[in-house]
Amino acid sequence: MFKGQWRRNFAVWLGVAMLGWVFSGVGAHAGAVNHGKFAVLKQEFKSGPEVTRACLTCHDEAAGEVMKTQHWTLSSLNPSTGQIVGKKSLVNNFCIGIASNYPDCTSCHVGYGWKDKNFDFSNQENVDCLACHDTTGTYRKPSGLAGHPVYKEMEFPPGSGQILRPVDLRKVAQNVGKTSRYTCGACHYYGGHGNGVKHGDLDASLEAPDRELDVHMDVLGLDFSCATCHRATGHKIAGSRFQMNVKRPGPRVRGMPEDSNPASCESCHGAAPHSIDTMAKIKPIPGFTKVGMAAVVNQHNNKLACQTCHIPAMARGGVPTKLLWDWSAAGKMGPDGKPMTKVDAKGHTIYDSKRGTFVVAENVVPEYVWFNGVVEYTLLGDKVKKGEGYFPINRFRGSPNDGKSRIWPVKVYRGVQPYDPVNQTLVIPNTYDDGSSGSSYFASFNWEKAVAAGMAEVGAPFSGKVDFIKTEMLWPITHMVAPKEKALACTECHSRNGSLAEGRMKKVPGLKKGPLFRLNP
Amino acid sequence: MKMQKLLLLSLAALTLAAPLVAGAYEGNWKRGDIYYRMVCSDCHKGQPCGPIGPNSRTRAEWTSYLDADKHAKGKEALKPYFGKAFRASIAGKNKAAAKFADVPEDELYADVQALLMRSAKDGDAPTGCR
Repeated sequence: MFKGQWRRNFAVWLGVAMLGWVFSGVGAHAGAVNHGKFAVLKQEFKSGPEVTRACLTCHDEAAGEVMKTQHWTLSSLNPSTGQIVGKKSLVNNFCIGIASNYPDCTSCHVGYGWKDKNFDFSNQENVDCLACHDTTGTYRKPSGLAGHPVYKEMEFPPGSGQILRPVDLRKVAQNVGKTSRYTCGACHYYGGHGNGVKHGDLDASLEAPDRELDVHMDVLGLDFSCATCHRATGHKIAGSRFQMNVKRPGPRVRGMPEDSNPASCESCHGAAPHSIDTMAKIKPIPGFTKVGMAAVVNQHNNKLACQTCHIPAMARGGVPTKLLWDWSAAGKMGPDGKPMTKVDAKGHTIYDSKRGTFVVAENVVPEYVWFNGVVEYTLLGDKVKKGEGYFPINRFRGSPNDGKSRIWPVKVYRGVQPYDPVNQTLVIPNTYDDGSSGSSYFASFNWEKAVAAGMAEVGAPFSGKVDFIKTEMLWPITHMVAPKEKALACTECHSRNGSLAEGRMKKVPGLKKGPLFRLNP
Repeated sequence: MKMQKLLLLSLAALTLAAPLVAGAYEGNWKRGDIYYRMVCSDCHKGQPCGPIGPNSRTRAEWTSYLDADKHAKGKEALKPYFGKAFRASIAGKNKAAAKFADVPEDELYADVQALLMRSAKDGDAPTGCR
C-alpha cells in the first residue's frame, strides 16, 4: 500500500516534470545539436584557429571539404574558357586586385591569416568555421586583420577613434548553426568595399526583406535563406557566377540525379511555370485566349531568362549600388591638406581622396545581353587598348542563334582604373596601407610606387608608367525577384509598331530590327 | 509519511519552478531586427540616410533609452509600442505587426533589446542605415 502510493506520487511528479520540461523550451534542441554541452567548446579560445582545432575533433572531414571549394582557394579553372578565375588572380575595376592588399581583402576569406602570398593553404586550422556558422551575429572580421576577428579591444582603423570589441569566441563556438542571410551577406552584401557596392542585387536590405524586394527571401513569407537555393554538398555551394548554367532542357528538380546545380529558377518552377490560371490574371493580348497567353509566355523561356522579366530593377531595398568608380580622380585633398570625403544628399560617399569619384544609384534598370553561361575575363597580362569606349574586364558570351543563350539582365559597372600604357596591360596597385611599406597608394598617393609594389608582388612586368583606362564589367542579376504582379509587362519590351527597337531590349544585339508581333494593331 | 509528502511537494515545487528558470527568455536579435526594420523604422524615417540605425547610439545610450521607457520626447511610454494592442492597431497596414501579433510583449521587447545591444555603435556588429 505504502509502496503503491509512493509509485503513484512519483509517477505524477514525473509527468509534471516532463510537461514542465517540454513547455520550458529546454527540449528545443531536440533533433539538433546543442554545441554548448561539449566540453571541448567550453574552453577559453584565444584565436580563431584554436576554435577550428576544437571543431575538427568531431567534424574531422569538414576542413578538408572546405579546402576544395572556391571559398577557400579563391581560384578555380573555368573549363569553358581554360582561364583561372577567382579573386586570387583576377583584376576588376572596384578595388582592382588582392595581391599586395591581402590583409584588407582576405577579411572575406573563409580562413585565418592570409596576410601575404605565403599563406599556408594546406593547414586545416587556418579554415574559419565561424564565418559561415555563427548564429549570434557577433562574429565579424574587419578589413585589415587578414581574416582574423578582433581578439583584443583595439582602435581600428588606427587613429579613427573607433573602438572594436573582441569577439567572444567561446560563445560563438557554442552557438554554431546553419548558414544564414547574415553570415553569407557579411561578405557577399559588402563586395567592393561597401554595402551593395558590387552586385546590384545583393545588399544588406536582404537581411530582412519584404515581399516587394524579394518574394523568396521575404521574412514574413517564404523566408528563404541563401542556402535554400545555393545548396551545399560537402561544403561546395551551388551557383557560382564564374560558371553559370543559363539554359538546360527541361526542369531540374531537386533530388533528381542530374541535378548538379539547384541554384536556378527552373530547379523549383520547371520550364513552363506560367499556368493558365496565373495568366488569366493579367491583361491579355487582343486575340489571345488565356491558354494561348500561357503558351506564349512560357515560350519566352526559350529566349529569356526568368530574371529578365521578374527582376525589373536592382538595388530596390534602399541601398544604392555603385555604377562608376573613377580612380583617376583620387588624390585631391581637403582645405586642410588632408584626405577628405564627400557625401551626397542621402549620405552616400561620392568622393574619397584615397579612392576617387563614385556614382551610386538605387532602383537601377538593368541592361540586357545574350548569355550562354560562359564568361571570359581580361586577365593580368592580357593586352588592353585605351580608346573612347570602355574596355571590357569581362565578356558574357552568347548569341541569338547558338541555341544555348538567353537574354539576361546585367548590371553594367564602369570604372576608370590605372593601367600600364607601355605594356598595355591592366595593373594591380598596392592600396592597402600597413603603415610600414610606404608604397601604398592610400599612404603615398603616388600611383607609380603603388603599382610597382603591386606588380612586384605577383611578379608581373611593369614599365614604370601609369595612365588610366575606362573599363566596364558585367554582373548577372539574379536576386531581388519581385512579386509576379511587378514583373515586366509585354509592352515594356514590345513596342507599338511591332518591333523591339524601343523599350528595354533596344540595346540587345540581334533584336534591334526584328519585327515580332503587333501588340496593339 | 509526512516526510514523504513534504518531499514530494518539494519535488513538485522544484519541477514547476525549473521551467521558469531554464526557460528565461533570451532575446532573439534576428526577430528584433525584423521588428525594428519593419515596425519601428516604418515611422522613424530619419535623415539623411533613411531609418535611424541601431548604430546611431551606444549600448549605454540605448539601455538608458529603454530603461527610461519614454517615447515621443517623453510624451508617452515606449513599452506599449511592443504590445499586442499596438500591433493589432497597425496589423492591417503593417505585415510584420500582423506576423508577430501573438508574440508576448516582453519577448518582442527583449528581441529588440538584443538587436540594439548587438548592433549599437559600440556593439559587436554595429549596423547602420540600410
